Amino acid sequence: MSSFLSRLLPPYEIPRPLKAGMYHWMAPDDAPIPYRLHLRVEDDETSVLIVNAATVVHLNPTATAHALQIMEGASEEEAAQAVARRYRVGRRKALQDQRELREQILTLATIPDVDPVVFLGMDRAEPFGEHPSAPYRLDLALTYRCDAEGELDPLARKRVDRELSGEEWKKILSTAWEVGIPHVTFTGGEPTLREDLRDLIEHAEAQGQVTGLLTDGRRLSDADYLETLSQAGLDHILITLVEGDPSSRKGLENAIASDIYTAVHLTLSPGPIGKSQKILQDLVELGVPAVSLSSSGTTDELFVELSSARDHAADLHLDLIWDIPVPYSSTNPIALELDTIPVGAGRAWLYVEPDGDVLPTQGLDQILGNLLRDPWSEIWAKAQS
Amino acid sequence: MKRLIFPVLLIVGILLVAIALPVRAQTYYFSVDESYVQVFWESDGSIRIEYIMVFTNDLSASPMEFIDIGMPNYEYDLSSIYGWINDQPIGHVEHSEYVSPGVEFGLQSNAIPPGGTGEFKASIGRVEGVVFDDYDDPNYASGKFAPHWYDKQNVFGRTDLTVVFHLPPGVEPEEPKWHSAPSGFPDEPETGFDSEGRIIYAWRNPSANAYTQYVFGASFPRKYVTTDAIREPVPEGEFFEPSRPSDFSGAIFGFLCVGGIILAFIGFIALAVHSDRSRKLAYLPPKLSIEGHGIKRGLTAIEAAILMETPLDRVLTMILFSTIKKNAAQVVSEDPLKIERITPQPVGLRTYEVDFLKAMIDEQPRKRRGALQDLMVSMVKSVQKKMKGFSLKETKNYYQAIMKKAWQQVEEAETPEVRSKLYDEGLEWTMLDRDFDDRTRRVFRTGPVYVPVWWGRYSPSSTPVTTTTRAPSTTPSAPRPSISRPTLPGAEFAASMVNGVQNAASNMVSNVVGFTNGVTKTTNPPPPPSRSRGGWSSGAGGSGCACACACACAGCACACAGGGR
Repeated sequence: MSSFLSRLLPPYEIPRPLKAGMYHWMAPDDAPIPYRLHLRVEDDETSVLIVNAATVVHLNPTATAHALQIMEGASEEEAAQAVARRYRVGRRKALQDQRELREQILTLATIPDVDPVVFLGMDRAEPFGEHPSAPYRLDLALTYRCDAEGELDPLARKRVDRELSGEEWKKILSTAWEVGIPHVTFTGGEPTLREDLRDLIEHAEAQGQVTGLLTDGRRLSDADYLETLSQAGLDHILITLVEGDPSSRKGLENAIASDIYTAVHLTLSPGPIGKSQKILQDLVELGVPAVSLSSSGTTDELFVELSSARDHAADLHLDLIWDIPVPYSSTNPIALELDTIPVGAGRAWLYVEPDGDVLPTQGLDQILGNLLRDPWSEIWAKAQS
Repeated sequence: MKRLIFPVLLIVGILLVAIALPVRAQTYYFSVDESYVQVFWESDGSIRIEYIMVFTNDLSASPMEFIDIGMPNYEYDLSSIYGWINDQPIGHVEHSEYVSPGVEFGLQSNAIPPGGTGEFKASIGRVEGVVFDDYDDPNYASGKFAPHWYDKQNVFGRTDLTVVFHLPPGVEPEEPKWHSAPSGFPDEPETGFDSEGRIIYAWRNPSANAYTQYVFGASFPRKYVTTDAIREPVPEGEFFEPSRPSDFSGAIFGFLCVGGIILAFIGFIALAVHSDRSRKLAYLPPKLSIEGHGIKRGLTAIEAAILMETPLDRVLTMILFSTIKKNAAQVVSEDPLKIERITPQPVGLRTYEVDFLKAMIDEQPRKRRGALQDLMVSMVKSVQKKMKGFSLKETKNYYQAIMKKAWQQVEEAETPEVRSKLYDEGLEWTMLDRDFDDRTRRVFRTGPVYVPVWWGRYSPSSTPVTTTTRAPSTTPSAPRPSISRPTLPGAEFAASMVNGVQNAASNMVSNVVGFTNGVTKTTNPPPPPSRSRGGWSSGAGGSGCACACACACAGCACACAGGGR
């Protein structure tokens, strides 16, 4: 009897809420174009999909359910079945939506420069327009030492009394992953002065985080050292080129020759008109695919130079990165042409000093708490206030 | 064996009733505080319906994620239906899963929470098959309408209900008749005229409820409605009444009394399926919103032309004019087109202008064509890079508006001097217009045109006459010096501009399609064949790029030049 009933009318399972948390997908080694996806599912079943640690997409609950199936490796049919079990939707419609979502995500991840609104039917959201449940990126200043002698900036010495140990940094990395931060960058000072940098990269990568390195490039002139970072899984490097320093340039050449995505940061300072254009041309000839630009001041001349450098970079077909802290400058070329400058500090990213103190961003001296001593919820609440 | 199965099935059905009904009852519980419904009877025999309803959701109930509205029949046009909740447009408007015929409005993020109140508006633009022959008078047509009502177990409280009929245009005051009003409403409706002069009947009951079917009706001479649209009458109660939402319990009761146990079983199964579905979550269309900037400002008109899918020969012509205006080049021969660089070259030339001049100096057509193609490829890539992170759609609209503004200023200029000056200043932007040729002819149909200072570099063969005029004054009292400027008759100037643009284009690119294909082959190459696309495949297949790139216009070369990320 019970068997008959259960066959006739199988027990109905009330859909459980989608499990909040971070889901990670990395394209397999044989994928023609490598890409990584992070899906952060929130308590309200909405989610944030971060494509290649750069493109932020907000998903409604239905899209989250579909995307979650992708992240868990389900086939199209399995995914559609799961969605149809959960929602009042036929399997055919669920399959159609599942296929469309896969195509959208795959296109975003692998084809650059496709307008997602016009060609993929997505809506546009203002950058950093919503308060996320956690930042998208954490910038970790491992040290404020800038050279092998250990010279510290006096202001930094005053504010930071010690450097965290490798284990302490790993604890912070783990906390970051647990709260849903998919992307970390190692900065400084000069982070390559930390001998445990490789371990930290490995730890973050093992968790599923995307890792980046901000460096002057000198240490990368040692090809073997660069190889250890590559083996640890480092995803991208941003080099603040030291003009006239052969080791910095050698480091850049090595990085470009490696399989790590490498960009160069230029801080434009007063000087001869068109100087930046020559540097950009030089970078193109080296094979640099992307640059980051900021100005050392806020004079009209520098703004003109910055705009000119931005346009010239485009003419040279260089990608422009504008939100990585090298140092992050509000006078970046994107900000120059927006009516309202989006504020990512304290929302999209946070900055951690060598002693674990958290700032909204580099250079903004407002301590939100200490990642080793204070609960994350309190730090994040302060960042939002 | 058959004898055993029957009682088993019956028991299953009863169990399901016992389990399912309370679940349903606990889920939805709300009041309809106000309902204002307008029905517009149209000359073509259709109706337009407008609802304004104020819902209050009970504290113990689930959020109201959907609002279903029954339709008079299946002849409604879904595309004509719009909804709003608290004046926010409702994106999800579909055929209802629960009310048939009916429409569901998915409130999505604007769902009415427990204890919350929401004002819902709906406009149902077109429902056909709603006017019938009148029973009592062969010269009359009639229609009835019952606003949507709900299951009694799901609603509480009173409803201030108003139903307004707008009779077909042209009906005279003494002609129409109202039908008897439902219980609780005044015997006679209020009458009057709407803003279109149509007769209105309005019934109102501030103490109505949301679970009773109130039927209102009116008759009017059939001459005011297209004859073909008037239907044969059908038995009372079978037409013009929205179906009740989810009213399976009522159906089951009726079946048990009349139809017997077999029908009851069918009803039970239907209820089971329905209850199962109602426990699933509402399925809203998957929605993705990408973070990105809006308008990319600072593009030149020529870069905007690339973005706006302007034909490539026109883009080259725009560059030609740009270099001439900047005193970087001059035309030495119009047909065949030959230009020469002016030395010294002015500072501040754009990369594409420098490359253009280099290409045009080359005498060999094949090499020049190749160089111009390289130039276009580079420009497309450059615009792609500049657009990265910005919205293609918003940016296109922005530059479209600049182009319109440029034309508007020229067209509204009151004197030939001002018109000529504005045309010169905005030439790069007006050339973005697909209608540039005709519009130029229209604007300069009459009156003289003060030719721009660069005219001689552009059209060495034309011979403007010199006209003495007074310069425009900035202050009324200031003396206005006389100046001599060359002019052309408007029509001659327009013809020269238009022909010049067309000739320049054809001189530079004789085969636009071939030229554009050469560009798109590089900017939008087809994807390489592959077995897999990285772990999970896509069912859509085909090119990853959303643009087909088959047509011969810059847009295809640049269809992927958008940003948005």
